[in-house]
Amino acid sequence: MVQINFAQKQVNAKIVYYGPGMSGKTTNLEIVHQRAPAPNRGDLTSISTDGDRTLFFDFMPLDLGTVAGMRTCFQLYTVPGQVYYNSTRKLVLQGVDGVVFVADSSASMVEENLESMRNLEQNLAEYGKSLANLPLIIQYNKRDLPDALPVEELNRLLNPYGAPCFEATANTGQGVFPTLKALAARVLESIHSGNRGQGSAPVGLPQTGFHPAPNLTAGAGSGAPRTLQQTGYNPMPQQPAAQQVQQPQGGRPIPMQPGMPQQPTQPGTQPGTQPRASYPEQLARTTVHAPPGGNGLQPIPMGQPIQRLPQQGQPQMHPQMQQQMLQQQQMQMQQMQQMQQMQMQQQQMQQQMQQQQMHPGTHQTGFAPVPPSMQSPGMQIQSSPGVTLAAPQPGGSLGMLRVDKGQGAPPPAAAQKPRSLPAAKPAAKPAAAKQPAAPAPAAEAPRIQPRTQPMPTPKGGKKRLVYAAVFVVVALGVGAFVAKMVLSVL
Amino acid sequence: MAMMDQKLRSERLVFYEKDVQRIDEEIDGLLELSGSRCAFLIDKDGHLVTRRGDAVQSSLESIAALVAGSFAATREMARLLGQDEFSTLFHQGERESIQISLVGERALLAMVFDQRTNLGMVRYYAVESVRRLTEILNEIDHREVAPTSGLSSDFSSSAVAALDKLF
Repeated sequence: MVQINFAQKQVNAKIVYYGPGMSGKTTNLEIVHQRAPAPNRGDLTSISTDGDRTLFFDFMPLDLGTVAGMRTCFQLYTVPGQVYYNSTRKLVLQGVDGVVFVADSSASMVEENLESMRNLEQNLAEYGKSLANLPLIIQYNKRDLPDALPVEELNRLLNPYGAPCFEATANTGQGVFPTLKALAARVLESIHSGNRGQGSAPVGLPQTGFHPAPNLTAGAGSGAPRTLQQTGYNPMPQQPAAQQVQQPQGGRPIPMQPGMPQQPTQPGTQPGTQPRASYPEQLARTTVHAPPGGNGLQPIPMGQPIQRLPQQGQPQMHPQMQQQMLQQQQMQMQQMQQMQQMQMQQQQMQQQMQQQQMHPGTHQTGFAPVPPSMQSPGMQIQSSPGVTLAAPQPGGSLGMLRVDKGQGAPPPAAAQKPRSLPAAKPAAKPAAAKQPAAPAPAAEAPRIQPRTQPMPTPKGGKKRLVYAAVFVVVALGVGAFVAKMVLSVL
Repeated sequence: MAMMDQKLRSERLVFYEKDVQRIDEEIDGLLELSGSRCAFLIDKDGHLVTRRGDAVQSSLESIAALVAGSFAATREMARLLGQDEFSTLFHQGERESIQISLVGERALLAMVFDQRTNLGMVRYYAVESVRRLTEILNEIDHREVAPTSGLSSDFSSSAVAALDKLF
């Protein structure tokens, strides 16, 4: 398809060298590239296999120069000739403005030449074009071969349309430029006039498909075999108007959108108008949407730790993660309860100690009870100097820290039978226990005298208070340490 | 006459100065927004319509032909896979990459960009620009085409004479 760009002041046309494999198409282009003036030629781009067989196409731009104020450029393409690459050949033919058919003159290549010519017709038909109305030049290459067929024979077989033909030996450069020059001229004429093609099809031949040329000497006037010229361009004789073949109605659909293969038209439809989704629509189809929201959780019973529900649209937590969070919260609750218990016990201890102060001699040893719930396997409670650890008593009694005061050995009775206190007894218990203790002092009347005067501070009482305070602090520290250990394990 | 116009319209593509100016403005805006190096508008036959942005040292004609050939090859591949065609191609290079977008039914927009931007930016702004370029090309496509298309009357004879000089 000719492109006329008045902004760039440029006219571009596309020329394709077609033919069977190894017929000399790429050689033609190489010769043009080698011998064309440097300012007029561009780079030769070849997409080929390792064996230098054209894989996709060869391309070379040829600048004709400025003509009538317009820079005229030809883009020369070659196609892969092997039958295997038919789909690739079809792609290169898109938008073609002129074709050079390079035929192999060898007698053994007749079938390949015919097959290639049929293939050219078929591929052009997919673009709504035909050799009947497309600038066409036939080059009979390899004229130096010993088994080269006569040109008349080749013309009879391959040139039903009476297109201009040239003999050539491309590897020596002979006939290359006359071929190109002839086709370029025809393409330029067609650009300006809008009248494409080198002439009418012979009488009786169909518009599409390739058939062996009929006997053109029968006086049909459609184009007798021309006198071949080695150089120069000889235009075809104009056909009388009466002998021009009438285009069959609807034989070749006019393409609505060039470059697209023809679609079979149906009544009421317009070819080439298939709706195509825009790029954003295509993108939307491939968008992955997040799964619908919803927590899927069971109702939380009262008293249980409150679980944080995932908000709508957010991904749900993994069930294992949820369980772990629940366990952690439960552990935290237990630890808080234990801490509260410890505090209560400490308060009880203080009260008892106050009672002891009020009633000296009843109890000489201090202790720092460690709740069994706080005891864990492998737990080690470091003892400070002067503090010995007492083993937990059977029956669930508390383990105690016994402090050696260093002021004489405690009473043996008190040492062998340390007094144990219950773990979690209400504060009223010491008061209740106090009452039974009251008769004991009464039974031991000879030892204890009822007080009539304020009780003087016994000797060493302050120290006992200090030791008690120390024990409380140590107990709190131990409890915190144990809690930290438990949390880290979880 | 209408059939002749339609035939001519299908056999040639004519760009006037104002058409190319509109296209250039659109592509300049796209380059500025996306941060791309340069952009080519190429018709499906491999002819370069316009180029904007940084200069390219390689032959523009070769690039245009290869872009069109590459797109044509992938389009055929798409048809074999049951698709109409692939509307976008992307080739990633070590320093520079190129994205090729289909513009309407006749043209391709090739954008070359480097590390100064990213593919997302290029694609994001290319979508809207391709839509506007498609509208411009559709207006050009449906315009009446004169038989001579603005060429001088002696264009063909002069061109043939130039051929004689060249060869």
